Amino acid sequence: MKRLMMVASGILLLAAASAAMAQQDIAVQQDNVMRQQAKYLYGVMLRMSRGRIPYDQAAVDEALVELEKSVGQIATVFGPNPNENVVNAEYGSSPKVWQNKADFESKIPPVLKTIGDFKGKIHDVASLTTAYTAINDSCNECHETYRLKLK
Amino acid sequence: MGSMKTARLLAALLVVGVSGFAAFWWLSRANPISASELPTRTPDLANGRYVFDAAGCASCHAVPGQPDRFRLGGGLSISTAFGTFHAPNISPDATDGIGKWTEADFVNAVMRGISPAGEHYFPAFPYASYQHAEINDIRDLYAFIRTLAPVTGRVRAHEVRFPFNIRRSVGIWKQLFMDGKPFTPDASHSARWNRGAYLVNSLGHCAECHSPRNALGGIIERQRFAGGPDPEGEGWVPNITQKGLADWSEDDIADFLESGITPSNDSAGGSMVRVIRNTSQLRPDDRTAMADYLKSLPPIEGPTRVRKSN
Repeated sequence: MKRLMMVASGILLLAAASAAMAQQDIAVQQDNVMRQQAKYLYGVMLRMSRGRIPYDQAAVDEALVELEKSVGQIATVFGPNPNENVVNAEYGSSPKVWQNKADFESKIPPVLKTIGDFKGKIHDVASLTTAYTAINDSCNECHETYRLKLK
Repeated sequence: MGSMKTARLLAALLVVGVSGFAAFWWLSRANPISASELPTRTPDLANGRYVFDAAGCASCHAVPGQPDRFRLGGGLSISTAFGTFHAPNISPDATDGIGKWTEADFVNAVMRGISPAGEHYFPAFPYASYQHAEINDIRDLYAFIRTLAPVTGRVRAHEVRFPFNIRRSVGIWKQLFMDGKPFTPDASHSARWNRGAYLVNSLGHCAECHSPRNALGGIIERQRFAGGPDPEGEGWVPNITQKGLADWSEDDIADFLESGITPSNDSAGGSMVRVIRNTSQLRPDDRTAMADYLKSLPPIEGPTRVRKSN
């Protein structure tokens, strides 16, 4: 009997731990999607527009394709509410994402449209800067309401 | 004999009560600047527009949910521990905005937190920082705002909990938390540092969000700039002393004030997004000056964060 109880408690503990892990996995997955966008928008487009890395047409074109792909995943990836933030993260999602789901999702198509509008139209640092500013402004429409500083 | 004692006691209580009320009334009075203290001058509209950005007026007073930063019909709701404030219409509309205000009315509102009717404004309006502004900056701001389009529509009244809704008591708050002193340059620092100190401490009103507050809503001075819970309820406002920004270079801070992007490729969230819309309009040398000043703030431990899940 004692052994049975120990096994049962062990199973329960494992189940609780894996549920918590799953929630953390969801939060990490959501964070990764946003980081992927930051990599191309800030790591490539912003840095190149400021002259910190040399202008590279192939990298610009790739950034737009990857951004479009990643922004297109936001609605799906942010479907479930992990109810927690990534451990030790600087930024996280506001609970409002899931409280105002329709409004949150309504912010995505304008970002996709802005990215699409600049495809094939960036040829130099000046046009890259214009594109970066417009895309970043459209991202901020969402960040103002749905992105939280955590520490 | 007993009734004599009671009468004396009542008389004493009455004297204490009346004196106390008189002291409260005197201490809580509004102390406006008179129009005669504002000598005639030609306003600098370009500077007024610049001050508009440096002071972050659009952050609260631009109509939310539309892109025009100069459409000052107000309406943003700010939830705090004391109640919900609704940013008023400060467009030049004569009925719903500030179209009928004199220059002295405007200066008193911004620098003293006093309405044209002589009432105290609630300190959700950051006049405790604006009090340190150069008066000519605020006069230029008045002239600039008068050039903008009037917006109709009066914003709803603030919903503030008792006893914080007693406006007269804000006069006592001002005695406790405002020094009434103009910004004074520190000769031991460079002109750039002083310009940064001016922008951060007066127009930029950075400490208003980046400092913890006490039960009366006043900034806890020993922890000024050390961050704390977001006054709007969600998230955390970071420590911007060297305790929080030691890893950031001066360029990192100046870049962030322009782009909203941190050195680790995170982007600003919440109300800081609105702040960046203003600071991105400033001259690069002013952003660098603010960074210079912020880098000089000694490390101060902020309040302890209570971890909350969604």
